[in-house]
Amino acid sequence: MNKITVLKATDITKKFPETVANEGINFSLHKGEIHALLGENGAGKTTFMNILYGIYMPTKGEILINDKPVRIKTPLDAINNGIGMIHQHFMLVEPLTVLENIVLGLKEQGIVVDRKAAKKKLKEIAELYSLEVNPDKKIWQLSVGEQQKVEIIKVLFRGANILILDEPTAVLRPQETEPLFDILRKMKKDGKAIIFITHKLDEVMAVSDKISILRKGRLVKTVDKEGVTKRQLAEMMVGRAVLFEFEKKEKKAKETLLSVENLDVYSTQQGVKVVEDVNFTVKKGEILGIAGISGNGQQAIVQTIAGLRRAVKGKIVFEGKNITNKSPRYIAQIGINYIPADRIGMGLASDLSCIDNAIMRNYYKKPISSSWIINYKKSEEHTRRIVDMFNIAVADIFAPIKLLSGGNMQKLLFARELFENPKLLIASYPTRGLDIASTEFVRKQMLKIRDEDMSVILISEDLDEILSISDRIAVVYKGKIMGIADAREIDKNTIGLMMAGTRLEDITL
Amino acid sequence: MIYFEKRENISAKLKVVIPVVSLIIGILFGALAIVVVGINPYAVYKSLFVNAFGSWYAFSETLVAATPLMLITAGLILVFKMGIWNIGAYGQYIMGAIFSSYFAIFMPPGVSKPLMLTLMFAGGAIGGAIWAVIPAILKVFWEVNEVITTLLLNYIALYVLKFLMYGPWKNPKSFGFPLSKPFPSSAQLPVLFEHTRINLGLAFALISIIVIWFIIKKTNFGYEVRVIGNNPTTAKYAGISVGKNIIIAMAISGALAGIAGMVQVSGIIHFLQVKINANYGYTSIIVAWISYLNPALCLLSSILFGGLESGGYSIQISMRVSYGIVGLIESIALFSIVGAQIFLNYKLRWKK
Ligand SMILES: Nc1ncnc2c1ncn2[C@@H]1O[C@H](COP(=O)(O)OP(=O)(O)OP(=O)(O)O)[C@@H](O)[C@H]1O
Ligand SMILES: [Mg+2]
Repeated sequence: MNKITVLKATDITKKFPETVANEGINFSLHKGEIHALLGENGAGKTTFMNILYGIYMPTKGEILINDKPVRIKTPLDAINNGIGMIHQHFMLVEPLTVLENIVLGLKEQGIVVDRKAAKKKLKEIAELYSLEVNPDKKIWQLSVGEQQKVEIIKVLFRGANILILDEPTAVLRPQETEPLFDILRKMKKDGKAIIFITHKLDEVMAVSDKISILRKGRLVKTVDKEGVTKRQLAEMMVGRAVLFEFEKKEKKAKETLLSVENLDVYSTQQGVKVVEDVNFTVKKGEILGIAGISGNGQQAIVQTIAGLRRAVKGKIVFEGKNITNKSPRYIAQIGINYIPADRIGMGLASDLSCIDNAIMRNYYKKPISSSWIINYKKSEEHTRRIVDMFNIAVADIFAPIKLLSGGNMQKLLFARELFENPKLLIASYPTRGLDIASTEFVRKQMLKIRDEDMSVILISEDLDEILSISDRIAVVYKGKIMGIADAREIDKNTIGLMMAGTRLEDITL
Repeated sequence: MIYFEKRENISAKLKVVIPVVSLIIGILFGALAIVVVGINPYAVYKSLFVNAFGSWYAFSETLVAATPLMLITAGLILVFKMGIWNIGAYGQYIMGAIFSSYFAIFMPPGVSKPLMLTLMFAGGAIGGAIWAVIPAILKVFWEVNEVITTLLLNYIALYVLKFLMYGPWKNPKSFGFPLSKPFPSSAQLPVLFEHTRINLGLAFALISIIVIWFIIKKTNFGYEVRVIGNNPTTAKYAGISVGKNIIIAMAISGALAGIAGMVQVSGIIHFLQVKINANYGYTSIIVAWISYLNPALCLLSSILFGGLESGGYSIQISMRVSYGIVGLIESIALFSIVGAQIFLNYKLRWKK
C-alpha cells in the first residue's frame, strides 16, 4: 500500500472568544485512505473540518497539501487545493435542478459552463462511482440520500481529491448507509482520500482504515482500524467504559394513557392523505416504538397528536379527554411534550440565545414569568440547571444557540422537553447526531421515565434502538400501520418486512 | 481579486465604527450630488449642520422633527423584529391625525383641555391602529402580503384626508384652501420649553421608546415576538399564537404612528390640512434600519434624521437648494448603512 501524504495539519489551534475548540492538532491523511474522525459532541470535529475547508482560519498552525504549505482562507481556496466538503446540512438550492446545482458557482473558478459538457462530465462521474441521479430533477423532488449524492458529485465535479463528510450517515436511512460506503470504497480505490465523521462505531469499523479520536479539542490518538475494538474506541473517546446494553425492567403496563382512533391526516400542500386509518394506544409506563422508513407518515401522526397538524378524521384521546385538534399550547400543558426530528427547522430559534431557547416551554409560567414579565434571573438559573444536568457543552448561555455543536443543540432540546416532566414524551430521532455517551444517557432517561410510569413514543429508524428500549413496536408504511407487536416477540427481519409493506398478520399466519 | 471572508464574531467596536464610517461615505456621496447641481457642498453641509444643531432654537426644531420619527420608529422596530413589513406608517399617521382632529373640530366649545387632549390622543391611537390592523387581519386570515396592503392603504388614507379637506371638513372661511378650522387652544398640546415648538409629544416619544424596549426585552409578548421573528415554525411549535401576535404588534405599531399624527396636528400645525408631513412614515423605515432595530439607537438616529429634516428645510429657504437634496442624502445614508451590514458580517480581502 502506498503511503503518499496528501494532507498534513500541524499544531492546529482554534480559539473562539469563550472556547478553545481545537488545540495543537496534528493530523495526516494519505492517498487512498478513509480516515474516521471520532469524538464526543463538542469535541471540535466540525470546527477542525471547517478549518481545512477554509470556513474558519486557525488561530495557530499550518496546513500542508502534497507537502506544500498552503493558506486556506476561503472554501474557494480549499476547492482549488482539491478539498471538498459535504456538510451535515446540505447546501443545495431547492428549486434548481441537479445539474444547475452542480454547475452553480463554477464561474468564480473561471470555468465557462457548457451545459452539454457538464452533463457529460456528470454522467462520467456518476458512472465511475455509481452515483446515479437524474440530472434534470429538481432538488426538492429528491430524497435526502439522493441529495447527498448530488453533494458528493458536486464536490467531485470540482476535482476534489480530498473529501470531507461531516456526519453523512446521521440523515440517511439505515439501508442507504451501505450504498454510501460502497461509493466511499470506490473513491478510495480511485486514490481519493476521505475524512469521515460519525458517532456510530459500527460504521467506523465497516469502512475506515485509520481512526483519529478528538477529545476536548485535542487529538488524543490516531490508530489503525486493524487491532482496535469498538470498546477501546469508546473508552478513548469518553475516557471511561461505555455500556452498550441496557437493563430493561420487566413491567406490566395496563392503564391506557393515549389512544388514537381511525386517524386520517392530509399533507399541508398537496392535500394527499399521508396518514390513513391509524389506530393505536399508549399505556402508562410504556415505550411505544414507531419504526418505519422516514417519510411514511410517522411525523404526521405525532405532529397531529402534538396539535401541529389537523386531524381530518378520527379521534385522539388522552387520559379520557378528547384532545383532537387542540392547540399546541393546550397539549403541552396537559403533559405531552414533543421533540421534533429537524431541530433547526422546528424546535429551536437558532439566532436567539441558549436561555431564550431553554425557556421556550415555560417562559409564560411561574417562576420564569410573573404573568407577563419574564424574570431573566430565573431563566438563567433554569438554563444552567438544564446545561449542568445534561452535561451540555456551552461556553456562554447568552450567545446564540447556533454556535453550539450539532449534538449539543440536540441535547438542549431533549433536556428542555424532559424538564417539563411530561406524562407522554414524543421523541423523533432523539439520538440523531449524539455521541455514544449522550446516546446512552438519552436512552436511559427514556427508560427512567418509563419506570416512573410515564410514557414515551419513540420514532426511530435505528432498529437496534427501537428494539432495545421499546415495550411494543408499531411499524408504519405509506401512512398505515402494518401491525403492532410486543418488542420481545418480534425480530429485525419481521420489522424489515413490515417496513416494506407487509402486514404483521400476513407474516405470522 | 477581492473577496469576502465571513467574520466569526463581531466586536462591539466594529458595531460602532462601521455605521459611522458608512454615514461619512453617505455624506461624501451626497456632496458629489450637490456639486453636480452646482452648489458648494461644504457650504450646504455647514448650513445644514448649523440649522440643525447650531443653536438651541435650531436644536429644538430638530427635536420637533425627531418626535414623530421616534414614535413611528419605535412601533416599526416591534413589527420589523417579527418579520412583518409594515410600510404603512404613512397612512396610519394620516388616520391618526384625522381621528384626533375630529374631536378638535367637532367637540362643543368649553370641553376642558385634559379631556380634549385625552380624546385626541385616544383617537389618534385608534385611528392608526385600525389602519394597521386591517392589513394584519388580511395577512393572518387570508395570507395577503402586508407590504402590498399597507402600501395601498397609504393612498387610501391620503384620499380620505383630501376628501375631508376639500369637502366636509373644510373651513368655510379659508378662502378655498383645503384647511380645517383652527383648533381651539384646548386642543393644542402644551409647549414644554418656552419660545420653542417642543411640546408634550416629545415626552410621548421618549416614553414610547422606553416602553417598546421594555416590551421586547422583558415581557412574554416581546419574547414571543423574537421567537416568531427568528423562526415562525418553532413559534407555532412552542404554542405561540403567531396570528394573534401579529395583530397585536401591528396594532401597537399603527397606534404609535397615529399618535405621531396627532402630535403633529395638535402640537405643531394646530389645524388639519392635506400637508401634514406624513412622509415621516417613510423616513421612519430608514430610521428603523439605521438603528439596527434597536430602540436605544432609535433615539439617536431619530435625532440625526430630525436634524436632516429641519436643517434641510431651512437650507431650502436660505440657500435655495431643492429639498430633494435632503431626500437624496437620506437615501444614500440608508444605502450605505444597510450596505455596511455586509461589512459587519464579512471582511474584505485581497488575493492575487
Ligand atoms: N463560531 C463559533 N463561535 C463560538 N464557539 C463555537 C463556534 N463554533 C463552534 N464553537 C464551539 O466549539 C466547540 C466545538 O464545536 P464543534 O462543532 O467543532 O463540535 P463537534 O465535535 O462537531 O460536535 P458534534 O458532534 O456535536 O457535532 C463547541 O463547544 C462549540 O460550542
Ligand atoms: Mg459537528
